[in-house]
Amino acid sequence: MPTATLEEYLEAIYKLDEKGVVRPTMIAESMSVSGPTVTATLKRLAARSLITRSKSAVELTAEGRREALDIIRRHRLAERFLVDILGLGWDEAHEDACLLEHALSPRVQAALEQYLDNPSVCPHGHPIPSADGTIHAVVGDPLCDLDTASQGRIVQVAEDNDELLQYLASLGMFPGTDVTVCEIAPFNGPLLVEVNGSQYAIARDIASKILVTR
Amino acid sequence: MSGDAGSATCSYTATPIFSGPRPATVVALIGNPNVGKSTLFNQMTGLGVVTAHYPGKTLEVNVGSTSLDGRSVSIVDLPGTYSLGSETEASWVTRRALLDVVPDCAIVVVDATNLARSLVIALQVMDMGVPTVVALNLTDESRRSGLLINADRLSGTLGVPVISTVATEGKGVAPALRTALMMCGTCGDVREDATHRYGVGFESLLEPLVAAATVSGIAPFGLPPRATALELIQSRSDVEEAVLESGGSVLHQRAGEVSRIMGAARGERVSTTVSRELHGAAGSIAESVSDSQPTDRTRRSLRSLATSPLTGIPVLFAVLASVFLFLFFVGDLLATAFSALWRAVASPVIVSAVHAVLGEGAWARTVLWGLDAGIEASLSIGLPYILTFYVLLSLLEDSGYLNAVAFLADRSMHHLGLHGRAVIPLVSGAGCSVPAVLATRVLATERERTIACTLIAMIPCSARTAVIMGAVGHYIGLLPALGVFIVSAVVTGIVGIVLDRMIPGSGAGMVMEMFPFRRPSLRVVWRKAWDQFREFLLIATPIVIVGSIVLGGLYESGWLWKLSAPLDPVVVGFLGLPSIAGLTLLFGLLRKEFALQLLVTLGIATMGEQANDLLTFMGPTDLFVYALVNTLAMPCVSTVAVLGRTLGWKRTSFVTAVTVGTALAMGGLFASVLPAIGWS
Repeated sequence: MPTATLEEYLEAIYKLDEKGVVRPTMIAESMSVSGPTVTATLKRLAARSLITRSKSAVELTAEGRREALDIIRRHRLAERFLVDILGLGWDEAHEDACLLEHALSPRVQAALEQYLDNPSVCPHGHPIPSADGTIHAVVGDPLCDLDTASQGRIVQVAEDNDELLQYLASLGMFPGTDVTVCEIAPFNGPLLVEVNGSQYAIARDIASKILVTR
Repeated sequence: MSGDAGSATCSYTATPIFSGPRPATVVALIGNPNVGKSTLFNQMTGLGVVTAHYPGKTLEVNVGSTSLDGRSVSIVDLPGTYSLGSETEASWVTRRALLDVVPDCAIVVVDATNLARSLVIALQVMDMGVPTVVALNLTDESRRSGLLINADRLSGTLGVPVISTVATEGKGVAPALRTALMMCGTCGDVREDATHRYGVGFESLLEPLVAAATVSGIAPFGLPPRATALELIQSRSDVEEAVLESGGSVLHQRAGEVSRIMGAARGERVSTTVSRELHGAAGSIAESVSDSQPTDRTRRSLRSLATSPLTGIPVLFAVLASVFLFLFFVGDLLATAFSALWRAVASPVIVSAVHAVLGEGAWARTVLWGLDAGIEASLSIGLPYILTFYVLLSLLEDSGYLNAVAFLADRSMHHLGLHGRAVIPLVSGAGCSVPAVLATRVLATERERTIACTLIAMIPCSARTAVIMGAVGHYIGLLPALGVFIVSAVVTGIVGIVLDRMIPGSGAGMVMEMFPFRRPSLRVVWRKAWDQFREFLLIATPIVIVGSIVLGGLYESGWLWKLSAPLDPVVVGFLGLPSIAGLTLLFGLLRKEFALQLLVTLGIATMGEQANDLLTFMGPTDLFVYALVNTLAMPCVSTVAVLGRTLGWKRTSFVTAVTVGTALAMGGLFASVLPAIGWS
């Protein structure tokens, strides 16, 4: 099993990899460490065949990918625990989860998962990889399926619609935001929802693009 | 390179905001919708700009000027928006204006009752390096609800002056402006970055890019380094282009890397991350300066009474019915009373004055069509319908009830490509088209306004109802009269559906803030009503007078009869109506109820006294078709005048063409169908 530091690197590389080609300078910046440190650590990762290096790009091996997903799973489970059970704020939870994630054995993970009622996403709305290293698509119900007076948390806003995503974000509605349905207009009309103390009327077609967990 | 870029972009380039050169001192007003920004603007400038309760209303940028302590200053009222991005038209306009105009200072109006949300835009304005004064508005309301905001602490936290205001009462307006003027000129060509910071994680990722921007010396639109970095990671294309044009391809590339890293670290789009940081910071600032939690929930529970379908729908029907009844009966009563008064007092004076100058011939009579009947027509719509209706509409708007209407009626209005709040103008149209057209300004888009105005032009107003009742109801029966109403309703609905399909763009999709009910300020309400009334008189009266004189001249000179010949193919041939009926339809342009009066007059003039009974020269089919065409065809000249004002003349011609086309098509259809089913 890799050390805590190596795990952090794998996690960072995995996330960068999701966005495109990974270069050592980007790893250095995203982890706030110096270039030489990254070079040294990448050598250790390559020695364990967790990554391959070609020219200036870094790629995860199958083994490295599995390890990365494992650490992401532990991080997100830890976040969930810190926020849901201990009541920490998300921002604090992220940093503490970084400390906690390295201490979660498979046994503890399984127990946590059960205790948390098998959560599918972290508090920020990102999917939690399963124990066998697979990531399931975000599960959630469209906001328009909620009943009056029920509460949900946004897990995802239809990603294909950039403008809508940004518009909702400008109103303070992003993954992780709690939404309460206050009223539903008749004849399949808009929904009246409360978000951060403000109320908004949201047309049904837009509400159908906002996924929430109850 | 760097110095050039900075000074070149800081100096003003032409924008649509100022027609001439940029004034020496410019203060921008920015804020969320419905925080009293426009009221503050009116207080500062004394210009007639109305305020309202829904997003996107002041989409046009209002510019006014004033002078304070001997210094003249231009004030730019930017559209109400929740952010400075490109998500909505309002946010785009506001951000773009900030970049183009480079205001010397921005007054950001924030809502004391919803500080967390409204501070977001203040932070964004400060992030752009604009010297900022925060106007903490609605402090009276927040105090009433038990929420106290510590303005000094807020000022300390933000690092900018904060002035408490109550815009509706004019409190704090002069101090806010004076403070803004003191901020003007504090920055030279080089602006400074805001001092507030976001989360440590975010800042540490942003820091290398700020450093790169500083080193490059590139200042797109005169933005300081941190502002440039923030704009670049959010991939704002105009700033990106400006950077590239200043030879900043390295900086641009660096920004791309940083936003990828940020995206990876946060697992979401950078724009979402920035929003998260903004809302997080605004929330914690708001919390730290709020001294108590609001206890008063009355206004919100009142609102939920209006939005809950169980109670809201009956309330909605009651409100719509009262608006309709008010316009139909009270408006009509007032109009009749006014006409009587006019004839007793003003008319004799005008008549004798004109006679004194022009004698008593045809010329005098022609001029009197304009000066007597024309002014009367314009005033008898203006006073009873517009002034009174606008008080009503402003009350609905300013109290926040319009939003409840929009919420409840949204779904049904969607079929016509409209949003819920179009219900009020449409229902008002059954009273009088003129205020109804003016009321379409509550609609957010040009597309909606065009559809709504077309429909309003076809909905029978009280004058057209009088024609329907007088021609069809009186001579044939109530049921056929009802038939005319039903046909026009169905046709109007179909036209709405067709227009929704035809006009590009989509009517769907709405996220609208729902405000708690507010006590409307009577002063503001009265001012809005007065502004609309004055504007109507200024716009419509000349058109009505000229139109009246032209028609009067045609009538008095006898040329009118010559006009009937070219109209005959349509009127006689297609609609099957007597030749004179076509002429009266034309006169309906002046005032819709004139059509019927004139039909009787002309009938008597051409066919003798027995034509007093329309049935002597028009059959039931003729009367039905006549009333239907009069209802659907081109609205009266006053309505056309406000249509031109509201939509512009190009769209007004479109609306006119649609209504005339539909009226003729329907008239022709019923002229051939009715006899076939046994009418004569």
